[in-house]
Amino acid sequence: MERAVPLAVPLGQTEVFQALQRLHMTIFSQSVSPCGKFLAAGNNYGQIAIFSLSSALSSEAKEEILHFSLAHDGPVYSMVSTDRHLLSAGDGEVKAWLWAEMLKKGCKELWRRQPPYRTSLEVPEINALLLVPKENSLILAGGDCQLHTMDLETGTFTRVLRGHTDYIHCLALRERSPEVLSGGEDGAVRLWDLRTAKEVQTIEVYKHEECSRPHNGRWIGCLATDSDWMVCGGGPALTLWHLRSSTPTTIFPIRAPQKHVTFYQDLILSAGQGRCVNQWQLSGELKAQVPGSSPGLLSLSLNQQPAAPECKVLTAAGNSCRVDVFTNLGYRAFSLSF
Amino acid sequence: MSSESSKKRKPKVIRSDGAPAEGKRNRSDTEQEGKYYSEEAEVDLRDPGRDYELYKYTCQELQRLMAEIQDLKSRGGKDVAIEIEERRIQSCVHFMTLKKLNRLAHIRLKKGRDQTHEAKQKVDAYHLQLQNLLYEVMHLQKEITKCLEFKSKHEEIDLVSLEEFYKEAPPDISKAEVTMGDPHQQTLARLDWELEQRKRLAEKYRECLSNKEKILKEIEVKKEYLSSLQPRLNSIMQASLPVQEYLFMPFDQAHKQYETARHLPPPLYVLFVQATAYGQACDKTLSVAIEGSVDEAKALFKPPEDSQDDESDSDAEEEQTTRRRPTLGVQLDDKRKEMLKRHPLSVMLDLKCKDDSVLHLTFYYLMNLNIMTVKAKVTTAMELITPISAGDLLSPDSVLSCLYPGDHGKKTPNPANQYQFDKVGILTLSDYVLELGHPYLWVQKLGGLHFPKEQPQQTVIADHSLSASHMETTMKLLKTRVQSRLALHKQFASLEHGIVPVTSDCQYLFPAKVVSRLVKWVTVAHEDYMELHFTKDIVDAGLAGDTNLYYMALIERGTAKLQAAVVLNPGYSSIPPVFQLCLNWKGEKTNSNDDNIRAMEGEVNVCYKELCGPWPSHQLLTNQLQRLCVLLDVYLETESHDDSVEGPKEFPQEKMCLRLFRGPSRMKPFKYNHPQGFFSHR
Repeated sequence: MERAVPLAVPLGQTEVFQALQRLHMTIFSQSVSPCGKFLAAGNNYGQIAIFSLSSALSSEAKEEILHFSLAHDGPVYSMVSTDRHLLSAGDGEVKAWLWAEMLKKGCKELWRRQPPYRTSLEVPEINALLLVPKENSLILAGGDCQLHTMDLETGTFTRVLRGHTDYIHCLALRERSPEVLSGGEDGAVRLWDLRTAKEVQTIEVYKHEECSRPHNGRWIGCLATDSDWMVCGGGPALTLWHLRSSTPTTIFPIRAPQKHVTFYQDLILSAGQGRCVNQWQLSGELKAQVPGSSPGLLSLSLNQQPAAPECKVLTAAGNSCRVDVFTNLGYRAFSLSF
Repeated sequence: MSSESSKKRKPKVIRSDGAPAEGKRNRSDTEQEGKYYSEEAEVDLRDPGRDYELYKYTCQELQRLMAEIQDLKSRGGKDVAIEIEERRIQSCVHFMTLKKLNRLAHIRLKKGRDQTHEAKQKVDAYHLQLQNLLYEVMHLQKEITKCLEFKSKHEEIDLVSLEEFYKEAPPDISKAEVTMGDPHQQTLARLDWELEQRKRLAEKYRECLSNKEKILKEIEVKKEYLSSLQPRLNSIMQASLPVQEYLFMPFDQAHKQYETARHLPPPLYVLFVQATAYGQACDKTLSVAIEGSVDEAKALFKPPEDSQDDESDSDAEEEQTTRRRPTLGVQLDDKRKEMLKRHPLSVMLDLKCKDDSVLHLTFYYLMNLNIMTVKAKVTTAMELITPISAGDLLSPDSVLSCLYPGDHGKKTPNPANQYQFDKVGILTLSDYVLELGHPYLWVQKLGGLHFPKEQPQQTVIADHSLSASHMETTMKLLKTRVQSRLALHKQFASLEHGIVPVTSDCQYLFPAKVVSRLVKWVTVAHEDYMELHFTKDIVDAGLAGDTNLYYMALIERGTAKLQAAVVLNPGYSSIPPVFQLCLNWKGEKTNSNDDNIRAMEGEVNVCYKELCGPWPSHQLLTNQLQRLCVLLDVYLETESHDDSVEGPKEFPQEKMCLRLFRGPSRMKPFKYNHPQGFFSHR
C-alpha cells in the first residue's frame, strides 16, 4: 500500500521536488465521510486528499485516492464532516465542500466564510472546528484567541466568546449541558455555556503540581470530554479530570507531549510526539502502545459511521505523508500515502 | 390316325425341332390347303377351358375305372376278366386323351412363348432406337454448349471503347454504316483498328529506342569531358593557396579538416558535422577539431564490402598468433584490449564560457563496442587554488556526471556489449572508464547513436536528426554545468574560511543581522553520509545515490551547534541541494523528535525556489546556508523560557516576530518578510 520511490528511476528536477515535498509533509487533520467509506486528509501545503477506505480495505486491495491540490492557501489545520458537507479550515477561513462532489476531480468549494477578526496585520489560523448538532452551528477557534459560532444555515457569525489570553488549540463538546471546552496556548481549559455565551469554569492545568511540566511549556494541545470527565494533554502531562470538582484524578505516565486524545469505549486513545498510538485504561495503566509509521502523530480519527461497519478503522496521521490505518487496535494494518 | 402320328412325336422332340418343322408344315399347309393334320391349328380352335374340363373328366373316369378294376380284381371271378379288359380298354382310351391333352398343352405353351419372344424383340429394338436417339440428343446438346461457350481470342484483347473507336478510327476501318447495325462486323472493325494502332505504336517504340541509344552515347562523351576537368581544377586550387593565405580565408584548412573527417567512423562523423554546423550557426564560442593519426585510420577502415573479409582475416591471424602465446591470462588480456580498442581519430570540442574558462571535450569511438566516450577537462583563465572540499567538483572524472538525470556514465549504453564482455571476462566498463572516457548517453545521442532499451543493436546507424536535436540542449547544459561548478568552486573556498558569501542582489532575502556563524565546511564520503542517524529519510527516499557529492556544515551560536548534512546533486542548481539537520542544544534535536527542526529543513529544502536568486541560480547553496543561520537564530531566540530553571535566557529575543507559536504543532516564525523585516509563519 505504501508508495515507495523506486531507487532505480533517475530523478529529475520534478521528481526530486516531489520527493522533498512528501518528506516534509505534515498531515494535520482527517475527517470521515458521512457514508463511512471515504477519508479526507488535509496537509500543510493546503491539499486535501480523499482516500477510499472501502476499496483499500477490500480484498482486491485497490488503492483509490483522489487529490485536489491547493484547497487552501495555507495548511489545513482542521476538518469536520456534517451529513452532507466537509468543512475544512486553515489560514483564517473555513470552506465547505459537498462530499458527493469531492469524489470527482476538480471540485470547487461550496462556500467560504471568514469570522470577523480584530486584527488585520496577520490572518490568524483556525485550529479547531466543532459541530454543535442541536443548534446546527459550527464553532471555530484559533489564532485570535476567540471562539466564533457560525450558524450553518445562514452562515452568519452569531457569538464571540472571549477569554483566552493566547491562541486556542482544541475544542470539545459536552453534550449534556451544552457546553464547549476549549484548550489553549495559555495553559487553561475554559468551559463556556452556549446558551448564555459566558465562561462557566476555568481549569489552569499548569498550576496543578502533579501534572505540570514546565520544561515542556504550559500549552494544552488536546482535549476530550465524556460529560463528567475530561482528559487533556500537551505541555503538561496527560491527565484525566473530574469536571465538577476540577480535580485531576489520573495522570498518565507518558513523557512526550500528546497532541490528540479521544475516548473510545472504555479506553482512552492518545497520540503525540513519538511514533505510537497509546491506549490507556481509565485507571491510568497503559494497555497497549501501537507503533505507527510517522515519527510524530497529530490526529486520530475513528470511523464509527453506522453506514459502513466494514470500514470501522482507526486512522492516524502526523509528521509524514502517510495515514496509518489500524483495522484492529492492536497493530498497524497498512498506510495510505499522499 | 392323327393320334398315332402325334404319338410318335415325343414331347421333348416337339420343342426342339418342332418349330421349324412345324413352320415348314404350316407354310406348306397354307400352300396346299388341308393336306396334313396340324395340331397347331387345332390348338387355336380348341378352347383351353374345355380342354381343362375334359382333362378333369378324363382323370375322374380313369380313377373310377381303376377303382372298378380294383374292385373287380379284389372280388375275383370269371367274367371279371372281361369286364376288367373292357375297363382296361376304356382306360387306354382315356390315356390317349390325356396324352393328346398334354400335347396340346405343350403346343399352347410353346406358342405363348414364341409370341412373348417376338414381342420382346420388338420392344428391345425400340429401346435401342430410343437409346440411340437420346445419345444423339446429348451429343448435340454438348456441341451446342461448346459452341455457346466458345471464346475466341479476340475477346481477351481490351479494345478501346465504342465512342473512342468511332471517333478515332479512320472511316475506311470503322465503316460506320455497316458496323452500327451488325455487331459481328463491328467487332471485326474494332479488331482491325486495334491492329492498326499496335503497328503504329511498335513503330514509335523502335524510334524511341534508337533515340535513347544516341543520347547515351552523348552522355558518355560528356562524362569523359568532365573527368578530364577535375585535375585542371585541382591545379587551379593549388595555385590559389597563397592568395587564400594572403586574404585570411582558410578555406583550405577547413577543406583539409573535411578531408580528415572523411576517415572518421560514422558516429564521430555525425558529431563532427553537427558540432561544426552548430558552431557556425548558433554559437561562436564552440570550436571543433579532429585529432589523431589519419594514416592509421585509413589502414583500419576500408570500404564496407571488404571490411568483413578483413575482419575475418585479422581474426584468423589473431587466432594464429594467440595459439603461439603460452599463457591464457595474456591471451585474455589481449582480447580485452582488442575489444576496448579506440578508433585512432578523435573529435575535440572546446566550449568557451563567459568568464574565459574553457571546457575541453575529447570524443572517442570504441570500434568493437560501437559506443562513443568522452573525456573532459576544464581550464580556467586564471590559476585556481582548489579548496580541500572542492576536490571533486571539477575533477575530469565527475564534472560531467549526471548532466541529464540518471546519466552517470559508468555503464555501457549498448546492451549488446554485455555479451561481448562475457566472452572476454570484462565485468563492467566502469573499471576502464578512467582511460577510455565516460560513455554518457548524451554523447551517444550527439553521435547519432540510438540504443533502444530493450534489444541489442546489431548495426551502427548514425542518425543525423537525433544528433541535431540534442546538440543545442547538450551544449547549453554543458556550459551551465561548467559555470555552476566554477561558481561552487569559488564559494567553497569562501565557505571553508567560515564566510557565507552572499551576493548583494540576494541580500534582501535575509535580515541585516545574522548572529549564527558557519564554522566548518567539509566533504563527507557517501558511506559516512548513509551512516548518519538523522539522514535516514533522505536515504529511504532514494535521494542519496552514489553519484551525489556530500558535505557537512557546522553552524554555531553560543552553546548551540547545528550540524547540516548536505547532498549535492550533480545537476546542481536545477536540482537543489538537500539538507538534513541535527541540533545539539539542551539535548539532541532532529526531525524525528522536534517539529521545528523539521520545519527548518522544509524551509531550505522545499522552499528553495525563493532562494535561487537571479538566473543562473549559482547562489542557491550559499543562500540556503545563510538561511539556515537565520533559522537557527530564530529558533534559539524564540525558545520559550523555562520558568523552573534559574537564570536569564541564553539568547534574548532580538528578532521581530508577530507571534511566537502558531498552529497545532506550535511552529516558530521562520519566514522572513522583506522589507518590513519581521518574521511570520507560512
